[in-house]
Amino acid sequence: MLELNNVEAIYSEVILVLKGISLHVPEGGCVALLGSNGAGKSTTLKCISGLIRPEDGAVTGGNITFLGKRIDALPAEAVVRRGLVHVMEGRKVLEHMTTQQNLMVGGHMHRDAARRRQNLERVYALMPPLANLRQRTAGYLSGGEQQMLVIGRALMAEPTMMLIDEPSLGLAPMLVEEIYAILAELRAHGLTLLLVEQNTRAALEIADHGYVMENGRIVMEGSAAQLKSNEDIREFYLGLDQSGERKSYRDIKHYKRRKRWLG
Amino acid sequence: MAMLPSGVFAVRYAQDRALLRTRPQWVSLALFMLLLALLPHLVTPRLLAIANLMLVTAIVVVGLQITLGYAGQVNLGQSAFMGVGAYAAGVLSTKWSLPFLVTIPLGGVAAALFGFVFGLSAVRIKGFYLALTTIAAQFIFHFAVLNLPVSWLGGSNGISMHPARLGGIEFSTDVSIYYLFLVSCTLMVAGAFGMMRSRTGRAFIAVRDDDVAAGMTGIPVVRTKAMAFLVGAFYAGIGGGLYAYYIRFISVDQFNLFNSVWYLGMIIVGGTGSIVGALLGTFLIRAFQEVVTSIGPLLAELVPWLGGDIVFASMNILLGGLIAFFVIVEPDGLMHRWNILKASYRLWPFRY
Repeated sequence: MLELNNVEAIYSEVILVLKGISLHVPEGGCVALLGSNGAGKSTTLKCISGLIRPEDGAVTGGNITFLGKRIDALPAEAVVRRGLVHVMEGRKVLEHMTTQQNLMVGGHMHRDAARRRQNLERVYALMPPLANLRQRTAGYLSGGEQQMLVIGRALMAEPTMMLIDEPSLGLAPMLVEEIYAILAELRAHGLTLLLVEQNTRAALEIADHGYVMENGRIVMEGSAAQLKSNEDIREFYLGLDQSGERKSYRDIKHYKRRKRWLG
Repeated sequence: MAMLPSGVFAVRYAQDRALLRTRPQWVSLALFMLLLALLPHLVTPRLLAIANLMLVTAIVVVGLQITLGYAGQVNLGQSAFMGVGAYAAGVLSTKWSLPFLVTIPLGGVAAALFGFVFGLSAVRIKGFYLALTTIAAQFIFHFAVLNLPVSWLGGSNGISMHPARLGGIEFSTDVSIYYLFLVSCTLMVAGAFGMMRSRTGRAFIAVRDDDVAAGMTGIPVVRTKAMAFLVGAFYAGIGGGLYAYYIRFISVDQFNLFNSVWYLGMIIVGGTGSIVGALLGTFLIRAFQEVVTSIGPLLAELVPWLGGDIVFASMNILLGGLIAFFVIVEPDGLMHRWNILKASYRLWPFRY
């Protein structure tokens, strides 16, 4: 469904951030993009959605195709119209608007009011807490509620694919579970997901395929099961030891494993 | 810190702090200063007069850069602050016959105090509202000068001044004024560079980027904002005082809102948050203004059927259009483009 082929991206015309990213998201699939801070995960998403341009960046090489058509030169609003929506990290709600107004803005592309109302009801059914917060100012919602709101707002555009950046950022473990339950339900409804996440454990629970990024390159890929059993991933991303136990810092002997891949 | 050529690294803190890090930087600065020093012998008197105007404007615009570009406080009253400096210097020198070495700094201090009052309002309001308040500075200045007793500030008659004197030298010719301005401008710009790399400058930048975060690191946000206005207005006052000694006649109309907007335009064209950008913007906009105003009459003469009115009107449109063009093509200012050029030159032949 979404195909990135050797994508290169730069910021400020001189800083190379992505050094040839290739990845593939199948229709109806859920792919996780993992990696440490500054690896280029968010930039990859911005390249896909076209949001890199307002940040003084550009895609300088490779190509991005969505549903068989190239989208790497399209402005962000045209990408959304094709059914690919980007949920940015940091919960960017329109803070002076109410919950309902935020959602209505998300459905702005569709002129048909009845359809918009239908979508609104669908979002409220999917995320019942939002229904009780209809008239509340979005800026005063809690972090978890805001995260639900931005996901709901993205759904109002009737996307076929969603790019979602760090939905668990700064949320309590219970809320993370709640958000991931919503994402799982969306998947079950046939929405394709590309998920960027620091919370590797949560991401690999829902994803069926994963890519690991480091320094603007993809250093590893595999199915979620493969990644979960990979020793490097266990060590560096999941914090487990060989036998699958959580690492204990009480162990006297402790040596640092070296990464077995080239960065 | 901008990108340095490879192989340049500091081994002492003093080196790390230094503004000029490499020999080519020293050489180019020395050559530039030499060019400025020789300028009166190289250009026509008309160009020299323009250069004088540029130098004095540069001081004012560097002040605005400190308030706006570094501390992030919108200021549309820079021209009024300049006027306060000019009037203070004018009154002190004509009424009390103080020497100009005293009146100029006092003019700066007077403007700084006036600016400080408006800096206090920056403590409570931001952005658009602050811009409106500083426009108020402009009108209060105008109103005060015109309505105070004529014997105080000259009212609508303005104030005529004697030329500045230092020892036996009288600064009454364009050339002597040029050197006076060059020295003052150099001092002020050097001061700005020093200040912006100091604790105060860092506090300004922190407040600009995020005043809440700045407060959390222990920076007194209120004092820093007021300080930004104080310093910016001081620069305007110094510039105003020098301008008064140059024109030797002060009236309120020389310090109107349009000038403030022009100063803002210079910063936008040059690039916010850069002292060199302020100088570059001043130079370019002033040069454009001069070119456009001198092309106008020429064009009216050469192509008589166009008619003088149309030519003059279209010259102003051209000037506005040029600035709009700059802002559209390079919204971050020319310094941004310059920094990219520098970086790509150093990376050459690689692209990144």
